[in-house]
Amino acid sequence: MMGETGDAGGGSAGEHPEALAASFSALLEDSAEDLYEHAPCGYLSTLMDGTIAKVNTTLLGWLGYRREELVGRRRFTDLLTVGGRLYHETHFAPSLRMHGEFGGIALELKGADGTRLPVLVTSTVKTGSGGEGQLIRTTVFDARDRRAYEQELLRARQEAECERDRVHRLATTLQRTLLPPVLPAVPGMDVAAYYHPASADEVGGDFYDLFPLTGDTWGFFLGDVSGKGAEAAAVTSLARYTLRAAAVYDPDPVTVLGNLNTVLNHEYHSTDPRYCTVVHGLLVPDAGGATVTLAGGGHPPALLIRHDGAAELLDTPGGQLVGALPDARFAAVRRHLGPGDTLVLYSDGLTEARTRGRVRYSEEQLRDFASTLAPATATTVVAAISDLLAGFADGVDDDTALLALSIPHTGDEEQ
Amino acid sequence: MTIEFTVTTRDTASGPVLELSGELDAATAPDALEAIRLLAPSAGQQLLVDLSGLEFCDSSGVSALIAARNVAVAAGAAIALAAVPGHLARTLGLIGLAELFKSYPTTEDARKAWGSSASGP
Amino acid sequence: MDVRSRNNVTVTDREDGPTVLLAHGFGCDQNLWRLVVPALAERFRVVLFDYVGSGKSDLSAWSEPRYSRLEGYAQDVLDVCAELELRDVVLVGHSVSAMVAVLAANREPARFAKLVLLTPSPRYLDDGDYRGGFSRADIDELLDSLDANYLGWSGAMAPVIMGNPERPELGEELKDSFCRTDPAIARVFAQATFLSDNRADLPKVAVPTAVLQCTQDAIAPPEVGRYVHERIAGSVLVTLDATGHCPQLSAPEATAAAITAFAAG
Repeated sequence: MMGETGDAGGGSAGEHPEALAASFSALLEDSAEDLYEHAPCGYLSTLMDGTIAKVNTTLLGWLGYRREELVGRRRFTDLLTVGGRLYHETHFAPSLRMHGEFGGIALELKGADGTRLPVLVTSTVKTGSGGEGQLIRTTVFDARDRRAYEQELLRARQEAECERDRVHRLATTLQRTLLPPVLPAVPGMDVAAYYHPASADEVGGDFYDLFPLTGDTWGFFLGDVSGKGAEAAAVTSLARYTLRAAAVYDPDPVTVLGNLNTVLNHEYHSTDPRYCTVVHGLLVPDAGGATVTLAGGGHPPALLIRHDGAAELLDTPGGQLVGALPDARFAAVRRHLGPGDTLVLYSDGLTEARTRGRVRYSEEQLRDFASTLAPATATTVVAAISDLLAGFADGVDDDTALLALSIPHTGDEEQ
Repeated sequence: MTIEFTVTTRDTASGPVLELSGELDAATAPDALEAIRLLAPSAGQQLLVDLSGLEFCDSSGVSALIAARNVAVAAGAAIALAAVPGHLARTLGLIGLAELFKSYPTTEDARKAWGSSASGP
Repeated sequence: MDVRSRNNVTVTDREDGPTVLLAHGFGCDQNLWRLVVPALAERFRVVLFDYVGSGKSDLSAWSEPRYSRLEGYAQDVLDVCAELELRDVVLVGHSVSAMVAVLAANREPARFAKLVLLTPSPRYLDDGDYRGGFSRADIDELLDSLDANYLGWSGAMAPVIMGNPERPELGEELKDSFCRTDPAIARVFAQATFLSDNRADLPKVAVPTAVLQCTQDAIAPPEVGRYVHERIAGSVLVTLDATGHCPQLSAPEATAAAITAFAAG
């Protein structure tokens, strides 16, 4: 275009401005009508009820209609898809009525042969001297490219939403594989567990299990792996299966933790240490209840609630983190459980839980809370503590796990 | 509400000083570990970890301290902590690691103690 | 939660006179009534509100389970009535709110003196012999239209949401926000609107009812208005000299006159 202009005018604007203006004028003398008809966008004028009064050649060409098929015979909404018509009636038309203009709306027009043309529509109302609406003027821009791009964005958004759901499901599934689905029934005991993951999307680092050993003895443990996510999950899995295997090999809890320590310390070391804290126990039933031996590796002390409400934190002094040091030391504690007594293992998500404000819930507070729960069973204690956690609302920002074992009341332990 | 975590390192005559402040948790521990990997204490020096600005430390933070200790031990250096917050001291005791780290009230105390022991003989 | 602010309730000055409660339809908010309010306010105490999720309602009060069914919107109407202790209410429901009004009146008939159903449709989808005017594919297309305008929405809407609703230049803000809403919320409202079937609720209406329709309406055609009229015993059918789905905008005088005549009659 610029080349032709230069040739026709015979000079540049700087040298012959008058000649250039004359050449523009010659090119544009029929501009008003020609611009309307052949503008690079569609023009459409309708009466206030939507009846098409005027339409330009560009739009007729896009849609494949003849002028006489539309003018006076069709309404603007007749050119829309049904869905677009609903959108027009519920959003576009009211706004246009209210404000006299409305623009940038994405709609689809239907061509004479049924093909659809994505467009961007802007309308203004021409008003008479009294302010009453006379005519609606509409410009229509071809939005095929823009629409393709937007659909790509929408598709990406939908994919992202699907992906998020998928990750969520995967984490939930994986989590389930790391926890025992249902605790086994232990003859003569009540057992209960609770697990609260801190995040719906990440696999947590808490784990527990309860499983039969030789004779009528049982092994159990509850632990917490440092960190979160896939790497923590790998450690959780390794820890859980190592503990079970080690307990079968030698059920002494201190030995079990020593074996786990060796495995983890070989697997992870140097500047990315992975470790866990664990309480591992051995349960040996007897006529009056059961004897439990617990070994602690850096884990918060287990809680023992006696039938009369006396509550005790079972420290295992000197027990070190499992996996952090090549020659970690572990210590054990032993107690006899009688009727009405409940043993609770928990992860530090509980005692690190922020109560309202910034104060953290301590083991001592947990002990004092527990002493109010008697007479208790594993089931009632787990329910009460999980309720307590729910009361912290957003305060629980770590995974929390609970495992409780109790000897049922016989009814005569109070005497 | 979260207090920003920062990690800085500097070299002193007695050895590198690692300063951890803010909230050290799973989200910020990778930054700490990155800094720890770059520490280069010499044999006979002391790696000093300054915790005076530490507001919160969870198990990931404990990992970072263990990693720092591993770096020091591998280099034949010592490790010491300064200004250990009460809750962390309690945690280190609980997990049986308190004895692995010499602990001083302030970095100044740590430096003095190191100076006297280094120039001791 | 204070219902007045939750539903952005506004009440015209006149404290005496019967109460007219105006309920807006899908796609807009209470400003849709702006052109008829002055005429109605001369004789009535006019109460306006936005459904939660629309207009300047409190979006934090929105929940998908509640607002995915028209009963949830009817609860908004009843909440507003309870909060303002409204009695003998003339409830005017436009478009989908006509069926919301039916549900509200069937739940608490004693609360309402009369119902005005403006361009109502009890079922937008064709169903056997029933002609609602739309197919399921049409409604899916509308949902696509909402999605297609999503990208434009987020940019245009963010400053309004962040803005202070108390600021003085209300007119400008109104212009920005009118008929715009969060697309995720609009989608839920659209599904509740266009997929509901309230035909069975019509015969249960025990409140005097007027059905107001237009001569030409792409969303609620005259046959549908007649259907509603025939199934509500004792109802009157008024065909306004107006076109489109929003006669309160295209013919405000005629609409206000018809509401006044029925409400005061």
